[in-house]
Amino acid sequence: MLHVAGLTRSFGGVYAVRDVALDVADGETRGVIGPNGAGKSTLFNLISGHLPPERGRVELAGDRIDRLPPHRRAKRGVSIVFQSARIFRHMTVRENVMVGAHLRARSGFPSAVLRLPSHFAAERTIRALAEEALDRVGLLEWADSDAESLPLGQQRAMQVARAVCADPRLLLLDEPASGLRAQERERLARVIEELKSTGVTTMLIEHDVAFVSRLADRVTVMDLGRVIAAGAPDDVRSDPKVITAYLGSEEP
Amino acid sequence: MSISARHGARQARRGPAEPHAAYARPRTGLPSPVLGGIAATALATLLLPLVLDRGGLALYIDIALSACVVVGISLLMGFAGQVSLGQAVFFAIGGYTAAVLVLNDVPPLVGLLAAPVAAGLVALLLGVPLLRLHGHHLAFATIAVHLIFLVVVQQSDTLGGNVGLMGIPGFSVGGIDLADHRSIAFVSWGVLAVVVLVSHNVITSRPGRALRALATSETAAESAGIPVGRYKLTVFALSAAFAGLAGSVWAYYVGFLSPGMFPVSMSITFVVMAAVGGMGSIWGALFGTTAVKLIVSYLGMLGTAGGMPDYAPAVLSYAVYGLLLILILLFLPHGVVPALRDRIVRRWSAPPRTPLDTAGRDPGKAGLPPANGRP
Ligand SMILES: Nc1ncnc2c1ncn2[C@@H]1O[C@H](COP(=O)(O)OP(=O)(O)OP(=O)(O)O)[C@@H](O)[C@H]1O
Ligand SMILES: [Mg+2]
Repeated sequence: MLHVAGLTRSFGGVYAVRDVALDVADGETRGVIGPNGAGKSTLFNLISGHLPPERGRVELAGDRIDRLPPHRRAKRGVSIVFQSARIFRHMTVRENVMVGAHLRARSGFPSAVLRLPSHFAAERTIRALAEEALDRVGLLEWADSDAESLPLGQQRAMQVARAVCADPRLLLLDEPASGLRAQERERLARVIEELKSTGVTTMLIEHDVAFVSRLADRVTVMDLGRVIAAGAPDDVRSDPKVITAYLGSEEP
Repeated sequence: MSISARHGARQARRGPAEPHAAYARPRTGLPSPVLGGIAATALATLLLPLVLDRGGLALYIDIALSACVVVGISLLMGFAGQVSLGQAVFFAIGGYTAAVLVLNDVPPLVGLLAAPVAAGLVALLLGVPLLRLHGHHLAFATIAVHLIFLVVVQQSDTLGGNVGLMGIPGFSVGGIDLADHRSIAFVSWGVLAVVVLVSHNVITSRPGRALRALATSETAAESAGIPVGRYKLTVFALSAAFAGLAGSVWAYYVGFLSPGMFPVSMSITFVVMAAVGGMGSIWGALFGTTAVKLIVSYLGMLGTAGGMPDYAPAVLSYAVYGLLLILILLFLPHGVVPALRDRIVRRWSAPPRTPLDTAGRDPGKAGLPPANGRP
């Protein structure tokens, strides 16, 4: 599904992502772990197109996408939930999620202005899809609330719903469980498992190794912009390089 | 497996979304008394030209046509997060387009329809380089566009140069003369109604939702597949088309056009009206235009009234007017209408279900996107 080779990006001469290569199989759930500043979020932004790479290639289902702008990559099926909350202000929870279903219907400015049948059809489709996604993450009863008024945990769940609503082929989740309570994490885990059963390929950045181990088929470990280990969750956890990276980074 | 097939399977397995109590709540968020009030206002303003005198009609036409421009600015600034201090240029382009066409024996109605098209096309061309700029860079660039436009018009013989175009025929449709003040007032009302309807339909739709989303975060909007650049360009062209449409009616109404009629201050005043009413709100634009025009007109009358000292007109039209604007923007930074609407919605409708206490929310955070609705 996803093929990444030689991907490189630096900020002010310091490499954030350096010669990263990885392959994610169709339908796989891939965990991405690493100490703070390892380059995990940067890697996601390079895949989703929000950062241009300096070198390297990104292929989605065999097609090269690294030159495409983010909205074209979204059209190809790449969905991302950012690490920092990106709530559309002055919009309800439902409307926020409806934006996620933007690509699931066709109705542009002319049909909106003239209120053509395609406008009403699009509104119905998008609304139904948004509500399905909200139901899935357990937010349906907050659909009419102002999105900004939600507690942090529910804001994250809403963003997952927004990404899921796009019916992605590749879903990038950047620390979706941070700030969630145990019960909410459990719900999120079930959503991710459910997506897996419908064939969605997912990449998951997460600091909680137990959480990743439970969900991921394979785990990629990053440190200082490079991939330092990859494999089954249990193998990776006992890899001496991984242990050093984590211990090293935690020293004062 | 194709995306749609995969989704279909998911739908079938889960079944349709459950019906929900909140499902049928309309999006407008306005209680029915307010909707009734809007209908009454529309009717009252439609009947107003029948009773107004000549001076009243002139003010009425001025307000209606300015409001067309201001609604466009409100869309542009409230949703695309773009400042345009050159919007009078599109008003002028509309006017000149209609004038040149009718002076060459094209029917006035064709001129009226060509005006927004011409203004919109110019905006598309200008927008490609301009909309790469943000914030005050964009504001300065649009002022520059305005100044360049004035120079071009002054040098153009077709557009009458510095002297301008004289003897523009009045408006008529299929031989029916609509050139008198009262008819033009009705035409202006109709043109504004079209502008309001188009804006409303855009806002409450798939592209409108995309615009509201990108007003907060272009990054997140892009990741939902929204072509942010193209959408911003479309709103810019739309706002220009509104201004162009109003400009053509203005040209038929006054009968002559010259570059001196479109100073930079005109563009700035349009933005002030949008700011007073509230960005990103159609009703805010209508209110802001009406309020500013009425205040200016009243202060003008007061200043020239008998018994006033010589300096009264200047003091009233600059100092008092400026002070009023500063006070409004100081105490209602999001504009008058969003502030009022918040209060009304809070009072009339049941408090929205939120996990947090709604009453404790920062009122400054409510309302519509601020002028620069960027992250
Ligand atoms: N926009 C930017 N400008 C400058 N430096 C950046 C930028 N984005 C990331 N960096 C730097 O690149 C490095 C990698 O950052 P990144 O956010 O990818 O790490 P991360 O693995 O996601 O960390 P965390 O676990 O804290 O989220 C860091 O040193 C960071 O300071
Ligand atoms: Mg990160």
